[in-house]
Amino acid sequence: MSAEAMVFLFGVIIGAALLFVKVFFVILISDLEVDYINPIELCNKLNQFVLPEMFVHAFLSFVFLISGQWIATAWNLPLVAYNANKVMNGKHMFDATEIFRTLGQHKKECFIKLGFYLLSFFYYLYRMILALVNDS
Amino acid sequence: MRPVGQAPPRPGFRPPIPQQQQQGQLAQPYPGQQQPGAQQFPPRPTPPHSGQQQMNYRPMGPGSNGPRPVQQQGTAPPRPMQQQQHNQDPSHLQQQNNNALRRPSAQGGQGPHSPSNQRPTMATPPFGSQQQHQQQQQRPPPAMGGGIQQRAASPMIRPANLPPPGSPGMPRPFQSPQIQNRPPPGQFVTQAQQTAPGSPAMNPMGFMSGPPNGQNRSQPPTPRMQHQQQQQQQGAPTSQQLHQQHQQPLHHQQQQQPLHQQQQQQHPPMGQDLGLMAGPPTPTPHSGAQKSKRMYPAGINAYTEPPTYEATPSNHSFQHTGVPAPNQAGGMQQQPPAQGSQFFVPGEKQAPTFGQPAPAYQQGLQPLQGQPLQPNVNQLAGQMGGMNLGNTGYGGAQGIVPISTVALMGTAPKIYDLDAPPPPIRLPETASITQSPFANCDPSYKRSTLNAIPATSQLLTKSRLPFGLIITPYRSVKEGDEPVPVVSDSIIARCRRCRTYINPFVKFVEGGQRWKCNMCYTLNEVPSSFDYDPQTQRPVDRWRRKELNHAVVEYIAPTEYMIRPPQPLVYMFVIDVSYPAVQCGMVATAATTILESLDRIPNDEGRTKVGIITVDSSLHFYNLQAASGEPQMMVVSDLEEAFLPQPQDLLCNLSECRPVLEALLNRMSDMFKDTQNVGNALGPALNSAYKLVSPIGGKIMCLQASLPNLEAGALKMREDPKLLGTAKESTLLQSASSFYKSLAVECSKSQVCVDMFLFGSQYSDVATLSCLPRFTGGSTFFYPAFTAAKSEDALKFAHELAEFLSQRIALEAVMRVRASKGLRMSAFYGNFFVRSTDLLSLPNVPRDQSYSIEVSFDDNLSIPVVCFQTALLHTSSSGERRIRVLTLALPVTTSLSELYASADQVAIATLLACKGVERGMNSKLDDARDALTNKVVDILGVYKTHMTASSSGATPNLQICDNLKLLPLLTLGMLKHVGLRGGSQIPSDLRSYAMHLLSTLPSQCLIPFLHPRFYSLHDMPEHCGTIGDHGIEMPQTMNLSSERLSRSGLFMLEDGQNIFLWIGRDAVPQLCMDLFGVPDYQSIRSGKTTLPTLEADFNQRVNLIVGKAREMRRSSYYSQLYVVKEDGDPALRLWFLSHLIEDRAEPIMSYYQYLGHLKDRVNSGSF
Repeated sequence: MSAEAMVFLFGVIIGAALLFVKVFFVILISDLEVDYINPIELCNKLNQFVLPEMFVHAFLSFVFLISGQWIATAWNLPLVAYNANKVMNGKHMFDATEIFRTLGQHKKECFIKLGFYLLSFFYYLYRMILALVNDS
Repeated sequence: MRPVGQAPPRPGFRPPIPQQQQQGQLAQPYPGQQQPGAQQFPPRPTPPHSGQQQMNYRPMGPGSNGPRPVQQQGTAPPRPMQQQQHNQDPSHLQQQNNNALRRPSAQGGQGPHSPSNQRPTMATPPFGSQQQHQQQQQRPPPAMGGGIQQRAASPMIRPANLPPPGSPGMPRPFQSPQIQNRPPPGQFVTQAQQTAPGSPAMNPMGFMSGPPNGQNRSQPPTPRMQHQQQQQQQGAPTSQQLHQQHQQPLHHQQQQQPLHQQQQQQHPPMGQDLGLMAGPPTPTPHSGAQKSKRMYPAGINAYTEPPTYEATPSNHSFQHTGVPAPNQAGGMQQQPPAQGSQFFVPGEKQAPTFGQPAPAYQQGLQPLQGQPLQPNVNQLAGQMGGMNLGNTGYGGAQGIVPISTVALMGTAPKIYDLDAPPPPIRLPETASITQSPFANCDPSYKRSTLNAIPATSQLLTKSRLPFGLIITPYRSVKEGDEPVPVVSDSIIARCRRCRTYINPFVKFVEGGQRWKCNMCYTLNEVPSSFDYDPQTQRPVDRWRRKELNHAVVEYIAPTEYMIRPPQPLVYMFVIDVSYPAVQCGMVATAATTILESLDRIPNDEGRTKVGIITVDSSLHFYNLQAASGEPQMMVVSDLEEAFLPQPQDLLCNLSECRPVLEALLNRMSDMFKDTQNVGNALGPALNSAYKLVSPIGGKIMCLQASLPNLEAGALKMREDPKLLGTAKESTLLQSASSFYKSLAVECSKSQVCVDMFLFGSQYSDVATLSCLPRFTGGSTFFYPAFTAAKSEDALKFAHELAEFLSQRIALEAVMRVRASKGLRMSAFYGNFFVRSTDLLSLPNVPRDQSYSIEVSFDDNLSIPVVCFQTALLHTSSSGERRIRVLTLALPVTTSLSELYASADQVAIATLLACKGVERGMNSKLDDARDALTNKVVDILGVYKTHMTASSSGATPNLQICDNLKLLPLLTLGMLKHVGLRGGSQIPSDLRSYAMHLLSTLPSQCLIPFLHPRFYSLHDMPEHCGTIGDHGIEMPQTMNLSSERLSRSGLFMLEDGQNIFLWIGRDAVPQLCMDLFGVPDYQSIRSGKTTLPTLEADFNQRVNLIVGKAREMRRSSYYSQLYVVKEDGDPALRLWFLSHLIEDRAEPIMSYYQYLGHLKDRVNSGSF
């Protein structure tokens, strides 16, 4: 297995994990909307995933960068920058007191990220298969 | 409760003069008053009001730099006498009405809240008892023993939807006789048309809109006809009877109601609902009549209806006798919502369509637009006009909703309309199942920005009016107010689907066996206890139930509404004892005040618990249960892991630990008087207090005079004058530390409320510290530059703290607002934590805190009436679990003009203030101000385009409907308010505090806060400042413009937080002598003052006026009195002048410039 295939296999695994995290976010947020969960619990649950998710995503981008996968890096870089900006401004966490006011934004963001990860996932998968085919 | 103004007496503080004393002293003649022209007073050029004896403090003759008599005249009471009457009459009448309302309870237990009365609330007319007497005579005697027969015969027709005769499966025991006795449908129409002119309760247009509806519409007049018929039976009606009848058509409805109740009780299985009938309604007119009529035993109709024809002309002739408008105004003010609904019902929403499925409503709607004007409409419109305080524009030409357009520019704003009641709620007549005057919510509890709800979201968007509710569920009940009725039998009927509480706007169907929810239209069983009392084994009258007669009602909740037994009140004091706090005297003042307020803390069942933590660089806990009887102090200096020493003894029962607590409070000021400690570990102290209180829930009261600077929650001095006035200013208004926000969330979860009393000699970061109260339902009080050495400062703080401690608050509360299907609560403003999409969690509900809720559309409305129901589940301070339910019903409209005619400018201003504050905090203050102006431009622009003749192109004037005419002024007030004003002069602490007030004050206090009341005292009429028929008479309010100031005058301006006495530099020495006891103007000291109490009559009158200004509203704030000299302290003078919002204050426009700006924007079409 070539290095490229290895990198994209890693990408596929991480991409799937990120995808799951986002699905979890979306589910919890819709739970909040229909009142199955209270905002305090929601924030406690979600906030523990926010930073790991960002970190994992940044790490994946870094792996692409050092392995010279320029397209994949370029694809991921904007999101890394966006996340970094949010952390710098201290706005990355879910705030229980503001959650209902910002719910729309959070939901939108979650869906956009979900789509992004989904596309990434298939791209990594495609590149992995491509690399494996080229190998053999 | 101690009356406001009587602060706890305390050495070193000067308690204000007790009311009684002042009143007593008034009897002493004032020399100048007896002889106005005598030596004491310089001669007056001309009396400003002929016929009114005045005491004027005027300067001597026309000197070079002195008096200007002409200007004096101008500054004399700004409004002509006619207006004065407008202002005063309603309150006067209101009081009369209140008396009248109360009176019946003294007369044979017929009071609204007397559980034993036969005729509950709606039987009591809100106007004079004489009328009641008459009507009691006219009524059949109350059912006692033989009451059943009486009731059966009582000629009352109850407007309700009844099923067609053929519908199967419904018990209708009295149906057949009624059918036989009913006159043919044709007769109905004639009868109705004849009745029409004198019967404001109906709109005969309905008769032309097709047989079924027409028959429906014949319904409303019948009660009235019967009433007249009753009069006929008792001999010819006297003119007085007629007079009253004319004057208050409502009362007939009310008066009739008990009869209908009797009917109802006699025939419980009657009211049925068309909308849910199993069989299709028979299309014949006969069955149509059937639908709308109640069914009666044989004989009733024969006895009821024919004489109506005779009764009608007499009533009609009476129309010409002319009723003085002010009376009507008063009457309407007394019960605006209910009366509005009774009087004048727009045709399309005539009653019986209510409760029917949507098509019927739509049907009724179309033919009505543009119907010819009915004779009675003008008369009604006149009444409405009278009600709107001097607004004569109501012509009712279209028979829909009269709307009068006024021009804004060129005249001074008519500020006395700020106190006018909101536009009437024109509900269909049968919207409420009981005709109780209390069936709809009082605006002081809940008011909507729109008193008619647009049927579609497009209409709302088109009108650009903000749509929201202003809710003050736990407003205080002052002397003379109606207490909230309590349903004590814990029968709580709720909709099983949407959990709405039963209310006066539901419908009983299937013979009264079920009720139809007015929010979601689910059918629910009526609890059998509504009609039968299992304890006494006797039938009871369901129409007497308070929840069917009152829109504001309180239930005693059974155990299903409790997760745990009702909690006791818990007061945990966290007192800052660091050097600055001791130095400014806060600790001593607080200790004394708490000590003196111990008796006033609610402690009904002896369960109230109290604890004290003092904090500097270490935490001091006090064991209040020490056996020795001496308080035992425990110091914890390990702040990182602050533990609770003896956790059981730190919070103890107020009654049990009283001696120890008193000993502690007595010593507290001495204990720390030599401290040099400047540390303040508020964070650990709050954590400890939270740990102590959280198992029970309760109140943590923080008294902080320095910035927390140790451990968690430490704050930095972050005020940067360079940021003020820039876009980054709002960062100073946001919380600096997440500690307080996350603590607030924890507190809210454990039903702990935190209140902040902040004393800042320097920056105290109100923005961050007020986070805790904001999310825990608490309150913030801020005392900038507090020093207890100034007795005024100490008095204000002591008064507010004492009031606050003695408030009967609600605990562990949740509040939910339900609305009819199609509407959704979308945004919430106020102090609470939003626990779910529509559930507000309020660990404490302080008195008189207001919550604003924005409403949005989910779906278009196809119903004629929408309902908003607020339920506040709480534990009262007496330890009972209670549910307070506020129900507000509003008509739905499809017309833009009705929407505009029913917009409530006061509620709109309240909602806009909340939105502005929110915007200012979260983005930029500039944005907030722009958004406010844009909103007003939008409203004016849409009004111009759609409601006035000049729909496009430039117009020379700005036009708006009469009921929104003060909106630009109030908006300008917001733009110039400390909370939102631009400029770099306002410290962020003051701004944060003002923002806190803007978003929590109820409308009654918010409006003066935005638009202060301004009085001229030196030339006030003789009766002002004396005790009149309705308390202390206040002078006329004046427009907020410095044109009104005169150099020799004395003016008062108050905004609910501060009172300013402005004194001109040419004030005559006599005035200085009489008011301040000093020989001349130069000797008057400016700044915070307490007025001396002198023998002089003028001094006593001003003292009374100041006292009245402090207590005339429902709030626990105590206004600080400042004396402003015309050439005194420039900062103080500027502060005073900044309240004169009609003036130009750089960089913000004057009122006229602002109007010009609005006009330009409207004309340019940029909205």
